[in-house]
Amino acid sequence: MMRLAKIGFGLAAASCLLLAVDRERAPRRVVEAAAQPGAKASAPAAIGGIGLINVQQSDLEQTDIEDNWVSYNGDYTGRRYSNMTQITPANVGNLVAKWVFHTREVGPLEVTPVVIAGVMFITSANDAYALDAKTGMELWHHARAITQGLIDDASSHHNRGIAILGTRVYMETDNAHLLCLDARSGNLIWDVLYATGNKNYGATSAPLIVKNKVLVGTSGGDDGVRGFLAAFDAQTGREVWRFWTIPGPGEKGNESWPGDMYLHGGGTTWMPGTFDPELNTLYWGTGNPTPDYDGSVRPGDDLYTSSLLALDPDTGKLKWYFQYSPHNLYDYDALQTPVLVNANFKGQPRKLVVTASRNGFLYILDRTNGKYLYSKKFVMAENWATGIDDNGRPISNNLTPDEKGVFVCPSESGGTNWYSPSYSETTHMFYFRSMEACSIFTSKTEPFQEGLEYYSTGTRTPTGQITKGYINAFDLKKLDFAWRNPQIGATFAWAGVMSTATGLVAFGDDAHNFVILNGRTGMPLWHFNVGQTPRASPMSYAVSGKQYFALAAGDDVFAFALP
Amino acid sequence: MGQGQVSAVDQGAQQFQANCSGCHGADGKGGDKGPAIATLPSIVARSDIELIKIVRDGTPAGMPSFEQLGDAKITAVVRYLRTLQGKTAVSNTDEMTGDAVAGRVLYFNKGQCSSCHMVNTAGVGQGGFIASDLTGYGAYHTAKAIRQAIVQPDTPLDPASRVVEVQTKTGQKLIGVVRSEDNFNLALQTEDGRYHFLMRSSLAEVNYKQYSLMPRDYGTRLTSKELDDLVSFLIVTSKNAPMEALPPRRTRHGNRTATSNK
Repeated sequence: MMRLAKIGFGLAAASCLLLAVDRERAPRRVVEAAAQPGAKASAPAAIGGIGLINVQQSDLEQTDIEDNWVSYNGDYTGRRYSNMTQITPANVGNLVAKWVFHTREVGPLEVTPVVIAGVMFITSANDAYALDAKTGMELWHHARAITQGLIDDASSHHNRGIAILGTRVYMETDNAHLLCLDARSGNLIWDVLYATGNKNYGATSAPLIVKNKVLVGTSGGDDGVRGFLAAFDAQTGREVWRFWTIPGPGEKGNESWPGDMYLHGGGTTWMPGTFDPELNTLYWGTGNPTPDYDGSVRPGDDLYTSSLLALDPDTGKLKWYFQYSPHNLYDYDALQTPVLVNANFKGQPRKLVVTASRNGFLYILDRTNGKYLYSKKFVMAENWATGIDDNGRPISNNLTPDEKGVFVCPSESGGTNWYSPSYSETTHMFYFRSMEACSIFTSKTEPFQEGLEYYSTGTRTPTGQITKGYINAFDLKKLDFAWRNPQIGATFAWAGVMSTATGLVAFGDDAHNFVILNGRTGMPLWHFNVGQTPRASPMSYAVSGKQYFALAAGDDVFAFALP
Repeated sequence: MGQGQVSAVDQGAQQFQANCSGCHGADGKGGDKGPAIATLPSIVARSDIELIKIVRDGTPAGMPSFEQLGDAKITAVVRYLRTLQGKTAVSNTDEMTGDAVAGRVLYFNKGQCSSCHMVNTAGVGQGGFIASDLTGYGAYHTAKAIRQAIVQPDTPLDPASRVVEVQTKTGQKLIGVVRSEDNFNLALQTEDGRYHFLMRSSLAEVNYKQYSLMPRDYGTRLTSKELDDLVSFLIVTSKNAPMEALPPRRTRHGNRTATSNK
């Protein structure tokens, strides 16, 4: 492997990185024959040589992630699993920083870079950049001022990245506009405002492109907006469909939303979903109900909050749903990536969707029908439920926030959160970061007011509590944890994980390090101090036969490769 | 872009006093550290977009970046500077003698302007990517200057638009526009949209031409009436352009100029 890698690099240098080596790829290892989720037999990759941006639906449907990382999660499955094998447990110790790109915008960045044909696309607040992925040099910058007057999450101007189709780049802005840019110049093609009627809407996510539609959601899920997922025609920017996550009058589930409460029920869609082309099904999580801590004004289960939705991408029609946290009182969004895994489950080959949920339980569902198969508590500090019943419904401990305060674990930040999990086809393990923390939740009924948050009171940290982070490896074959690494450091990093075909797992840790460890054992193999707290999930790509890892931390994007 | 100009100038005056007057003087006529930006012809002649970029990015000569102000305040500062220069956004509608609708047809058809230049009309950006976005162009140039730029391009030549021809040591020739470069690397974009990421050590020759990709025969290809129509189209387009449709920053020297903060 080492030898091959060197030859690849030598070739690249000798031929001046021109056409001859454009199709040079990092040596790959043949992964087990089990068909990967949604893989279409021999769909040809359309992305051409280095520097030529043209992404087709067939590229988005690829499940072998190699040179290109085509979307926020790298592919439709959400596994964040790179097939590249140039960097191995044996040589990862030689990894070096290749470049740093400083955005000088609003930080910290939460972006996962997208790389197409050697061009990296990132966002920072409302700005988008195209970079030479080999040098970090800027090719263009679409600058747009941050929006004043926003509240809550949107007022932090977080943005998690772009989506791409053809020669066009798509991004959301802090005030919920969908922008379409020319990927070759950064010029604005169109700009569509997609959330109106409540100024508490914002947006922080990366869009997802499915079959010539751009799918977008909003933030504002703690601020009394009505959640939705909307699909726009990628060419014209015209709306194709919109699925409201809070049922309106006369619709099933509306009984939880008396009067006009449905307009303020939350259930926002602030992270990208996943997609199975074979089942023609979108998998999208929804956020917590609002008001967050006051359930008295939203009786019942509060559909479709804190749920996983299975939607038809052509029509936006609901196929099925699974609610992780009915009538939630603790801000337990269910936006954690629904990872699509094809694997044997209890001896049977199954199409699964695996999620480590913010409520502290890991779930395995049958993604063809939403049937609950399995759950496992992954936090040690958990008291809100005594368990999960045979249908997947939590057995609530009825801890109701009041004016005095009630002690609940996990905290409002959840047992895990939006930072990405990863499933490795090599180790058959599901990797994710978790948080051990509890909060005292207080609540008092308050009216909704536009321009204000809608938590209906708040939380405080128990005196003396030390928040602890873990990186976990859950073995899908054994249905048990293979290892759990407690994180040492001053600041819990909201930073996700990814895995590679050589069994590596990469993530930003709680002490400013970018870490790569052995996914089988949890043994750290390499780290690099990026000097600031990472608050993003890493990715991997290749240019001219050289494999890179990239991670955003602070206001910067870092790239690493072998010397 | 016509909205909110009065308040923008007020805000610009405040921002100018707070951020610029220390070096350039309260009247912009220069100080110990900064040149007379209100009177220097080389500054007055620049477009608003160029000045916005200077304020945002700083200069190699040592002016720091004021990016932290955000685009709205930077734009306001530039508008205020224009009042110090005795120059405001060009009032060029009086000079329009052409038919903007006919000009639009020319832009996208016979004139072939859209094969290189994007322009945002009615909320949709259409056209090419290799040359600059012309959405806001008409706001800062007189009708005469626009006409001049069409029939006599590259006078003066915008360095960012220069055609660059490289030859690699293996004999391959590439012609395009530089999108980033430093002492070690050069990213060239060819007319097919492709970026070519070249190491300088791999290049036998780099030839910066004294012209852009703009055709130099519009004076004969288009009639006088057609030129007037095109000019009118660009002016009308700029009047309707949203601020957000202004072109993105394109740096030619890789990562932006390092500057010190105040």
